[in-house]
Amino acid sequence: VIPSLRDLPSTLRLHRVLPVVSIAVAVGAVAAAVASPQLPAKDWGILSVFAVVIAVGEVNRIVLPGGRETAPMSLAAGYALAMTWDVGLDYKVSFGAGVVVATTSVGMLAGAVPALVRRSPVRADDLAARFLSVAVAALLFRHLSVWNGEPLLTLQDDWVTTRWVTAISMVLVSGIALLVQSFCVAMATASRDHRPFWRSLVDEVRQGAGLGAALAASGTLIALAEWPMGIVALPVFLIPLVLTQFAIRRFAGIRETYGQTIRALSRLTEIGGYTRHDHPARVAALSVAMGRDLGMSDRDTLDLEYAALLHDIGQVALREPIPDGATMMAAPADQDRIARDGAGIVRQTNVLDNVAVILESQAKPFRHVRELGEDLPLASRIIKVANAYDDLVGEARTRRARKQAAAIERIHLGLGYEYDPRVVEALIRVLDRRAAVVVPG
Amino acid sequence: VPLYIAATCLAALAAVTLGWFREGLPGDPVAVVTLLVLGLLSILLRERDVGSNITFSFLSIITISSAVLIGPVGSAVVGAVSMAFDRSSRTAAARIFNASMVALQGAAGGLIYTAVGGADLHDELSPGALLMRVGLPLMVVDVAQMLINALLLAGIVRLSWGVPPRRFLVQMITNSGVAYIGYGVIGFLFVILWGPAEVGAFSAVLILAPLFVARWAFVQYGDEQRAHERTLSALVTAVETKDPYAAGHSSRIAQLAEWMAEPLSMGAQEVQDLRFAAMLHDVGKVGVPTRLLRRPRTFGAGDVESLTRHPALGVAAVRDIEFLSGSLEGIRHHHERWDGLGYPDSLAGEEIPLISRVIAVADAFDALTTDRAERPALSPDQALKQIEQRRGRQFDPHVVAALATVLERHEWAVTTATEEELENSRGYLDHDDPIAWERVWTRMAALPSANGTVNGTANGTLPGAEPDPHDAPTRASEPSEPTRIPEDRPVEQVRSP
Repeated sequence: VIPSLRDLPSTLRLHRVLPVVSIAVAVGAVAAAVASPQLPAKDWGILSVFAVVIAVGEVNRIVLPGGRETAPMSLAAGYALAMTWDVGLDYKVSFGAGVVVATTSVGMLAGAVPALVRRSPVRADDLAARFLSVAVAALLFRHLSVWNGEPLLTLQDDWVTTRWVTAISMVLVSGIALLVQSFCVAMATASRDHRPFWRSLVDEVRQGAGLGAALAASGTLIALAEWPMGIVALPVFLIPLVLTQFAIRRFAGIRETYGQTIRALSRLTEIGGYTRHDHPARVAALSVAMGRDLGMSDRDTLDLEYAALLHDIGQVALREPIPDGATMMAAPADQDRIARDGAGIVRQTNVLDNVAVILESQAKPFRHVRELGEDLPLASRIIKVANAYDDLVGEARTRRARKQAAAIERIHLGLGYEYDPRVVEALIRVLDRRAAVVVPG
Repeated sequence: VPLYIAATCLAALAAVTLGWFREGLPGDPVAVVTLLVLGLLSILLRERDVGSNITFSFLSIITISSAVLIGPVGSAVVGAVSMAFDRSSRTAAARIFNASMVALQGAAGGLIYTAVGGADLHDELSPGALLMRVGLPLMVVDVAQMLINALLLAGIVRLSWGVPPRRFLVQMITNSGVAYIGYGVIGFLFVILWGPAEVGAFSAVLILAPLFVARWAFVQYGDEQRAHERTLSALVTAVETKDPYAAGHSSRIAQLAEWMAEPLSMGAQEVQDLRFAAMLHDVGKVGVPTRLLRRPRTFGAGDVESLTRHPALGVAAVRDIEFLSGSLEGIRHHHERWDGLGYPDSLAGEEIPLISRVIAVADAFDALTTDRAERPALSPDQALKQIEQRRGRQFDPHVVAALATVLERHEWAVTTATEEELENSRGYLDHDDPIAWERVWTRMAALPSANGTVNGTANGTLPGAEPDPHDAPTRASEPSEPTRIPEDRPVEQVRSP
């Protein structure tokens, strides 16, 4: 239905386009700001406080549990700036959206400098999405005529006795701006990870909903409190958000630790001499790429990744290792027993039941679906193909291309009988992309 | 206790009456109703266990803000009614006490706010005045409410359970002091938004949204942390699948080691490192050939070599888990001996990390109190005696003393096995059992090739494969025992070159 973003030529892919668009917007905004009439000194003071807070917020970025990076304090300050009107009881600012956008770009770029100096990577597409989102908020609030040719900015003077209406309008504007951000990020991840766009958008909105609510509320709080408190409101009313950010950081931290533990578990078979070097990690990387290609949600992809990492854990119960740990070559009954032993070990955790279900079916041939009407989880079918491929190719350095071709051929022999054709197609797409990345270099 | 509750109740009533005379009834019914609804919501939606020792009291924020927004009487009513609906108070007395306590907090808060010169929010105030004449008095109210809360609770705890009030107070204030400052700050923001910024009741939504999200994240964190612990224990399960005769060993050791940390006065972080190290100390056994773990009929020097690699393999297995970084040393050195004859690095005395010394003792103790084919489990007293005999040679004397202390305080159940299990495990070598292990050494040392030229083909025979009626465990290390290993024999002689 939607034109597939995965198939765009690589130069047009959106995670590369987005930063370019942002730079254009920023340059335009700076030009507009320069051309606009001279601002009073107090406005300059206010703008510089905002720029500093945005920069600080950018430095204190957090990684969300899904792995995406964001900067809540910077975004909240950006929205507040976009909606700033009364600062102190008897002062109104006189700048427009162009100045807001220019200030935000200065703050965000300054915030990216420490990371650049440390040579740690800055996710340009995420940064661009944040920037564009603030720009949208500024345009909506300051320039879009809502009633009698007046934008929300000046309308709030009519609502002095019903300030909660202003509050709701601010929450709405921040909400729309956040949706724009999710949209940009979803386009970027869809093109970077080769996933269907809708899947990315749904995941993005679902993951960002909680933090988004906190962000929209905080931006509104600051903008409202500037009236009685002046610019002091900016740092003071960020305090609840700092707490939120701390909590989310803890949450993301334990997720990360969890991942490390699973990866360590996956290496137990290697230490025991049951599997080849890095086999589980390779199967996991391949499976995740295939799962994304097939449009699995983030949550399912995480289960798939864990299952792929642990798919050989059942081998520790074997008395003697099988040659090279290649379960693909083992007898079907043995494969099944390893799968069940592994599922049993994983089930004992009581918390990885989804993973255990995937592991249980990982050795079952695809024909069970047609002949017995069995419902094999997609993740199990993916792991079966990825495992077979890695057992056949492994870490081969010499004559890798020929081994790959032979592996694909061998997998094709089991198409529809042993392996799910749709999954094999995904494998071939993933391998083609990898080749496209490697060969030109 | 009933008298105490009645007194609290009376004090609350007195404070409310005083508030009534001094400040009158709250003038804004909408505000009272809104705050009341918020108070009830915060009580009814309260999560039992947020996990990781973080508790959020939305009600505290609401009582602090109400003291300013609706005065002493209103604040007392909001607090008392909310607490009366608290599902966690089981008895009527507890309910009355809690309600009176919160009412007293609210009424006192409202009185104190005006007493220390808190400004009326209807006046027009400059930003500076907001901080000095609203923010500062509000913080005074905050501290006062915390003290009322702590004092009253200390009193009831003293009367009901006889806990010394001073200790309780100190503990309470160190635990929730910071949180109370946070409640004060957020209460201040709430009041500013409600009053001077003229947003009114809607400000509750704005202020509470980030806090709810924070709480949600903390709950997720707690869940994930529990999930993680369970998964970590799966690491152990995986290894125990391979070595079925060691089932449950790791978690028993983790428990024992945690008990021993107390008399050794280890810090919280060290205890955590110890617990995880104890849980995972044998994870490297996954790299030991299965036949050595199951029924080794014969046991050669090469086999000793592979078995003694397990601490290093264990470290390799969990090296990349960041939060275990404090436990790695403990895992690596848990088979070192006090006299320096252990493996893998032949460390001696204080060179061995304390965590490893604790695990070494716990490990041996659990092995001795487990049923084996060649001998029944030793009783805790017998096992302790065995360990004490090796004090200063194999084990750190301080740690052995800690074990003795622990056994006085806690019950220790020996691990029993069925006849069938024992029969199946005949020939099994428990590498943690000091007696069995010494016997392996001795027999190997008796072989002609033992002096530095041991190789994988030279076999010692295991005790279980060749039962010896005179080899009773309690006598294994008596001086007259002919097979006792000489103290000065370095382990390197036994391991293959």
